[in-house]
Amino acid sequence: MSEKKVILRAENLTKRYGDKEVLKNASFSIREGELKILIGPSGGGKSTLLQCINFLVRPEAGRVWLDGREVLYHRKRELYAYRQKVGMIFQDFNLFDHLTAVGNVEIALIHVRGMDREEARTRASSELERVGLREHMEKYPAQLSGGQKQRVSIARALAMDPVVMLLDEPTSALDPELISEVLSVIRDLRANGMTMIMSTHQIGFAGELADEILFMEDGVIVETGSPKKLFSQAECQRTREFFLKIVEIYGESR
Amino acid sequence: MEELFFIQNDVAPALWKGLLVSIRLIVPSAVFGLVIGVFVGVLRVFGNPFLTRLADLYVALFRGFPLVVQLFIWYFGLPHIGIYFTPYVASVIAFSLCSGAYHSEYVRGALLSIKRGQMLAAKSLGFSKIRMIRHVVLPQAVRRALPGCGNEIIYLIKYSSLAYMITCIELTGQGKIIASETFKYTEVFMIVGAVYLVLTSAAAWGLHRLEARVRIPGFQH
Repeated sequence: MSEKKVILRAENLTKRYGDKEVLKNASFSIREGELKILIGPSGGGKSTLLQCINFLVRPEAGRVWLDGREVLYHRKRELYAYRQKVGMIFQDFNLFDHLTAVGNVEIALIHVRGMDREEARTRASSELERVGLREHMEKYPAQLSGGQKQRVSIARALAMDPVVMLLDEPTSALDPELISEVLSVIRDLRANGMTMIMSTHQIGFAGELADEILFMEDGVIVETGSPKKLFSQAECQRTREFFLKIVEIYGESR
Repeated sequence: MEELFFIQNDVAPALWKGLLVSIRLIVPSAVFGLVIGVFVGVLRVFGNPFLTRLADLYVALFRGFPLVVQLFIWYFGLPHIGIYFTPYVASVIAFSLCSGAYHSEYVRGALLSIKRGQMLAAKSLGFSKIRMIRHVVLPQAVRRALPGCGNEIIYLIKYSSLAYMITCIELTGQGKIIASETFKYTEVFMIVGAVYLVLTSAAAWGLHRLEARVRIPGFQH
């Protein structure tokens, strides 16, 4: 079988804050339907890398290609169009506090994609249904649990028909009991062929589902490989230490 | 008895006329002031450095000059460079610009209180900056600014009384005319004061209703 095509490719992304380089020449590519997982200590550049990919953080250097076309992110229109195709999920959900669940999902359909209200409402409802929130559509963020909020934010991203999704520690702000409801939504996405890059400390989840794990530290992608390889026979000493620690805390893969 | 006739025949009609002028001053000034305030507040938070400076300068000037002085400049000063306003128009301009400067401060504070993450989320969905401000940031900021802006509108109702200084004869002006004709200063100005109290109370009640109407569960923290 021929290899699936590369959806997203980033080359030499570099980001500095003052003198500190928080991202150093990060490069990777991801093929259709793959799930890549970023693992590494906090402050290691995982968030910065994800935010540089859709230019929420402007990299000092580096290039990004989507579907083989370079993203000319200095052109506003092109940047806005590109971001619509790249869904993003944040650790803190970042729902719009003044809108109900369904309002959160439909707002970009109406004001970014220019859908009429009725059509947007229908689409938003079906996305919320897909993440299991049919009964909560009219609730405001303050009335939802953390897991529900994160599922709304996933529905909000999915409604834009993204070709790739970036998930920045989507379960780190959740109570242990709520983590699984979000992970199961992500698992469904994976089963349906969504291309995703996700940073997480959920080592079990990573081991079970990742096509590839990228170990990041001090702004550098230190090592890349299949979960099996990184868990048991990482080449890098530092990678081995980190995986030992994290397995100790979060448990072996299920 | 004489007192009552005096009030009914002389005071009431004059003050009624004055009240109508006051309302014609207050309503447009409140509306323009709010529009200016929102616009300038947004510029001060989201504008480019040049526009932000310009907006800051506007606020410094119009908040720093005494309002009476501003009125004098609009009405007595500008004719020297060939610009003429009627007392009414000069008053509305002065009130709107002064009010706008204060509103912008409340709006700015509210804008700064909106969590940055929500803006990142909006951008990640493909919102342009202007659309993000319009559909995500402002609807929340306006709710937060409402108590402060309401306060400013109540101030406006009272400082609209300064219009009579440039011969726009509104409520206070009418009161002053009758009072100096009859020397019944206490009676007349007590009534004038009471009318303002009714206006400000009505405004406070309306603003309160508005706040309740746009309240969102959990939004006020």
